[in-house]
Amino acid sequence: MAVCDREPLMAEQLALRHGIGKWFSDVDAMLDAERPDIVHIATPPPSHLPLATRAICAGCHVFVEKPLTLCHADSQQLVASAIVRNRKLTIGYGFYFDPIARTLRRLIAEGALGEPVHIESVLGYALSGPFGSCVLADDDHWVHRLPGKLAHNLIDHLLNKVAEFMSDRPTVQARACRRADDTHPASHLLNELRVMLFDQDRSAYVTLTSHARPVAHLLTVYGTKRTARLDFEAGTIIWSSPAALPGPLGRLSCIFGDGIQCFREGTQNVLRCVRGDYHTLSGLNFLINAFYESIRNDTPVPVSYHEILKVAAISDAVFAQLGTEHSRVA
Amino acid sequence: MTVLVTGSTGFLGTVVVERLLARGVTTIRCLARPSSNAAPLRALASGPYADRVQVTVGNLQSARDAERAVAGADTICHLAAAMRGSPSSVFLDTVVATSRLLDAVASSAVRRLVLVSSLSVYGLADVPVDRLVDEGIGLETHPEWRDVYSHAKLRQELLVHEHIARAALEVVILRPATLYGCGRPLLPARVGLSGCGWLLQFGASHMLPLSHVSNCAEAVALAGTGALPTGAYNVVDDDLPTVDEYVRRYKREVGHLRSIRCPFFAAMLLSGAAERLHVSSKGRFPRVLTPYRTATLWRGHRFDNRKLRQAGWTQLISTRDGLARAFDDRGVRHHVALRRDAHVPEPTATSPAELAPVFSAAVSTRQ
Repeated sequence: MAVCDREPLMAEQLALRHGIGKWFSDVDAMLDAERPDIVHIATPPPSHLPLATRAICAGCHVFVEKPLTLCHADSQQLVASAIVRNRKLTIGYGFYFDPIARTLRRLIAEGALGEPVHIESVLGYALSGPFGSCVLADDDHWVHRLPGKLAHNLIDHLLNKVAEFMSDRPTVQARACRRADDTHPASHLLNELRVMLFDQDRSAYVTLTSHARPVAHLLTVYGTKRTARLDFEAGTIIWSSPAALPGPLGRLSCIFGDGIQCFREGTQNVLRCVRGDYHTLSGLNFLINAFYESIRNDTPVPVSYHEILKVAAISDAVFAQLGTEHSRVA
Repeated sequence: MTVLVTGSTGFLGTVVVERLLARGVTTIRCLARPSSNAAPLRALASGPYADRVQVTVGNLQSARDAERAVAGADTICHLAAAMRGSPSSVFLDTVVATSRLLDAVASSAVRRLVLVSSLSVYGLADVPVDRLVDEGIGLETHPEWRDVYSHAKLRQELLVHEHIARAALEVVILRPATLYGCGRPLLPARVGLSGCGWLLQFGASHMLPLSHVSNCAEAVALAGTGALPTGAYNVVDDDLPTVDEYVRRYKREVGHLRSIRCPFFAAMLLSGAAERLHVSSKGRFPRVLTPYRTATLWRGHRFDNRKLRQAGWTQLISTRDGLARAFDDRGVRHHVALRRDAHVPEPTATSPAELAPVFSAAVSTRQ
């Protein structure tokens, strides 16, 4: 194992802190010397395409942090490069593989939800957190140079959870707003973003907010039979079903039903905590293991290239129309 | 004489600027990051000290900004460092920033560099507790077993040592104890772990290594004006309280605090259990305590400040008064009082009354 950073001091500290014997400041030197099987690319997004292409050309499978590249065309190019060279490629959609997201997918496949009608994906972001404060403190931070600023770095977390329910060509409406009380100099970061996606018989709302409190990470899927509410912070799924009893009794039964589900989910999460699996990055652990398994067994990658490119296309449509009219994904 | 102060908007930096003014430095260039609150310094630069204080906005991670800041400086007081944040941001702001600064120094006319390091760079895990920790004690050999801040400060100091070997530069390294004063959290890590009104107090009778921000700033000003010979110095105040005395006084003068006293052997047992939990949870339980860190931080080593005292440094404010003011701190009046009591020689151009409100404002913004 080896690590690489263009700044040698950063490569050195990462290697030392994680007990890794070798570090490099030149990716080509690392690829030549170490000949790795897999390369994880966790650099700023503009460098994803050139670095991943180099790694694929060197015969490596590649795990790229989101977003895959800066636009759909670049992502297509990268996926094509991986296919042509018979290398595997995946993207860091950790929350897509969170235990509750996997459970939801399984239950939907079993018909528990009926047909999905509408999906709402909400991501709160604390600009005062470790990464947010770095971005705010540095006017030259790479986030400021992304076409969609902060939203560009986060939107995949929102879109990958709704894209699987949508067609390849949903109608996209996107708006970014700035609150009247937002006087922070970094408000140009597009930290309040709303996106609406429409298909013939399905719709989705996507909300990125850095002002709403508490900082939330939610997914609600409304189905023809039931509705599922996923809370990625708490790690819970709460199902809402039509009331079985009439009138006030039915309304009360819904409240107590929610309470029982909360108790059950809380108990399960205590057990997850004991097993060491109650963690915000549980999904990322699962994804990495699944990607490695797909390489060992030469099975399909955990995130299909079709889904990756669908997210990239919607993302393109969102950032193309901020400040313009809504458009359809090309 | 032009002195560049990095980290000039920080807790220590504002007081260092004050001490350099008091010591008659003709030009002080204050480097402030774009996101920092440089308003108090700007008020100085556009007001009473317009001819002596300059404010330069820049980020030391940028080589261009570093070169611009260093150009024309004779001495650099390098205070900039990250106290908290993600590991990568701490290293970027502390180590990479220092590397850029040293690169800029290499092609400049700078003659003297004053680095504000930390006592945490010493490797004390295997040093007997009865051994007085002076500047001859070896540096940490396992920084990766310590917290990120200590790791970064050690790497920063090693960078400077590497640079000394290459360049003809006078270097003074100051290793302050835990800084305290107005606007600073009053329960430092060396007391124990605190949160939600509780304190897990590690140790009882050992001395708490502290340095009042004004006393540390005085050491930096002495070094910056050439009064300290090159070399490394511990910056620790005299008449320090024990951990027990400190906690008792905190409870009496600040407010209610529920504390559990944990003797050293119990702290080691707890640390061993916490580390095992960290390993068994595959890193999901944070590395809050480790036996190595506990042995380094809470065993009760005493730190020697004789070298600094022999070089001419004296405490501007006694530990007793410093603690009284810090515990009773509500901002403005204590900073003014601190200046009055410390008998600071004021610059001739301006009265103390003109200077104090500016820095008081700086302090109040950190409340």
